[in-house]
Amino acid sequence: MPNVSRRLLPLVPVVVLAVAILSFPSLAPNPYILSSGIVVLNYAVLATAWNFVGGFTGYISLGHGALAGLGGYATGLLVTKAGMPAFVALIAAAVLVAALAVPLGMAALRVRGASFVIVSIALVLILLLVFQSWASLTGGSRGLVVPRPFPSLLRPEHHRVFFFLYGGLLALALLTWWIVDRSRFGLGLKALREDEDKASALGTPTFTYKLIVFVLSATFTALGGGLYALWFGDLDPVFQFSVLTGSYLVLMALLGGVRSLYGPLVGALVVGTALEYFKGSFGNTPLHLVATGVLLAVVVLVMPDGVLPALAAGWSRLRRTSQTSIREVTAAELRDQRTSAASAASGSARSADSAGFAGSAGSAASGAGATSPGTDAGVSERASAHERSGGGGGKPDSPGRRDQEARR
Amino acid sequence: MASEFELHDIVAGYGRAAPVLRGFSVTVPAGSVVCLVGPNGAGKSTVLKVASGLLKPRSGRITAGGVDLTGAGPQKMLAAGIALVLQGHSVFREMTVEENVMLGGYTLKDKGKLAARRNFVRDLFPVVAERWHTTAGLLSGGQQKQVEFARSLMIDPRVVLLDEPSMGLDPKATQTIFDQVVRMRDAGTAVLLVEQNARRALETADLGCVLDLGRVHISGPAADLLADPQLGELYLGGRPARETAP
Repeated sequence: MPNVSRRLLPLVPVVVLAVAILSFPSLAPNPYILSSGIVVLNYAVLATAWNFVGGFTGYISLGHGALAGLGGYATGLLVTKAGMPAFVALIAAAVLVAALAVPLGMAALRVRGASFVIVSIALVLILLLVFQSWASLTGGSRGLVVPRPFPSLLRPEHHRVFFFLYGGLLALALLTWWIVDRSRFGLGLKALREDEDKASALGTPTFTYKLIVFVLSATFTALGGGLYALWFGDLDPVFQFSVLTGSYLVLMALLGGVRSLYGPLVGALVVGTALEYFKGSFGNTPLHLVATGVLLAVVVLVMPDGVLPALAAGWSRLRRTSQTSIREVTAAELRDQRTSAASAASGSARSADSAGFAGSAGSAASGAGATSPGTDAGVSERASAHERSGGGGGKPDSPGRRDQEARR
Repeated sequence: MASEFELHDIVAGYGRAAPVLRGFSVTVPAGSVVCLVGPNGAGKSTVLKVASGLLKPRSGRITAGGVDLTGAGPQKMLAAGIALVLQGHSVFREMTVEENVMLGGYTLKDKGKLAARRNFVRDLFPVVAERWHTTAGLLSGGQQKQVEFARSLMIDPRVVLLDEPSMGLDPKATQTIFDQVVRMRDAGTAVLLVEQNARRALETADLGCVLDLGRVHISGPAADLLADPQLGELYLGGRPARETAP
């Protein structure tokens, strides 16, 4: 029974998410709320796309706003100047940005840590200047108006269609992240996130891997930005190439938890909703930034690893005490175990080493078996661990170990 | 013997400074444990850096099974079956034991071979199998070391280079680690071992090699080195070679 429920457990968020996205347009009381929902979903797509780089490699990019902006402008320009159909332009723009991400990534991913952050900020600022100054192509600060892809649709219907389009894009991004996470490729990425040199020493082609996830990330970011251009219909360099956008994405991902599939999505829901709510209640003042800042400070103080890891930790604390490596027998008990094991198996090298295992196996079993961390329970567990490994004669598959195997 | 690993007349050092190794040679026959001992600064760790391709020798020759590997980088050495287990703790702390071990076989393309090696190391290191799904950073120092051993064995290496495997471990864990070195050898992997704990290491090894000032001072069967009273005085801590000796 628990096996089946464990296998179905990953489907729960998928179902919840699907139901939420499918029902929200009908539940939204007015078109304004629906459009806020689109903005939040846009953030969710961008933050999930950001997490291909941030979550897998640990590289913190503040420049993803620029990739979204490029996607938006490329889509807009392909529609207005080249006369492409809207969604063909969207795909073409994503391909263009992906191609551009190859040289960008090759340049930026050479440097690590703070240097990478600064390079990524520089990208945003350079593109801002280019798109502001090159007015003959981009419209400069007057903005670029992108015609709506569905001219016959009224405003609320238009929102509804784009809400679903964003939902689909989010699903695609999440699915891709999930596939990468489970793959051999993902294993190499996680190793390089922890220690790039060590991973490279084990034969992981670290640079190629970083570049591949950077391009993947850029592609999804560009799709998000392009969809925004088609939906909103008006692009301004100041908002498209903004360090603030990139910072929001980082905050969302960190807030939700960069190591988990749904982390950036949860972060986007929290931060995006807060931003929209505060904008609505404080109007056109910078107060919404202050309020968002306070919210972030509180979350970071209370859950430094992000919302999802904090919830997961709380959940597992409720369910069971986790495995421990800490020895739960006293030194005297250990000595007794060792002498009894030695006398049982009269001193070959083999037995000496398995006596070593028996100690750890016994303590692992007692750690995993203890359901309440209370002192009394701890003492009785200790006693039984002692009994078990003492009686088992220190074989590698002592009862303690089999217990543990059976638990899986 | 064709399958032996050999460093021949190696001169190596760092930057433009005087060489650390000055004409050092060692041979690791297949299926044997060779132990390098010597005082601090003798060049023990430098030998392993040269052998693993991290440091290119200024002159000399490196061969494995008759194939010339002189000047090969770390990845090439790995591909030639020379695996290094670094000093201290080098597991990926945030990843599970399983992920750590599987990373060791990252260069293996053949799925069947990968699975076979996985089962092999799980059998060889019961602790590793037992803690398969545990986060590696939560293991004790001795257990982490065994995960590193298992990781290095994934590519079915010709030789495993062990740099101070007992460093920072309590006596019991040290005992386990040395027992595991023997088991690795018995499973067919040659081991080149560098140890501070010289006496203990020589008791484990088949062959010993005393290194001093970048050259081989003396080498031979480990038991002979242990029995040599002068050697005991100079390099093994000044105690008599045997507890029972007068």
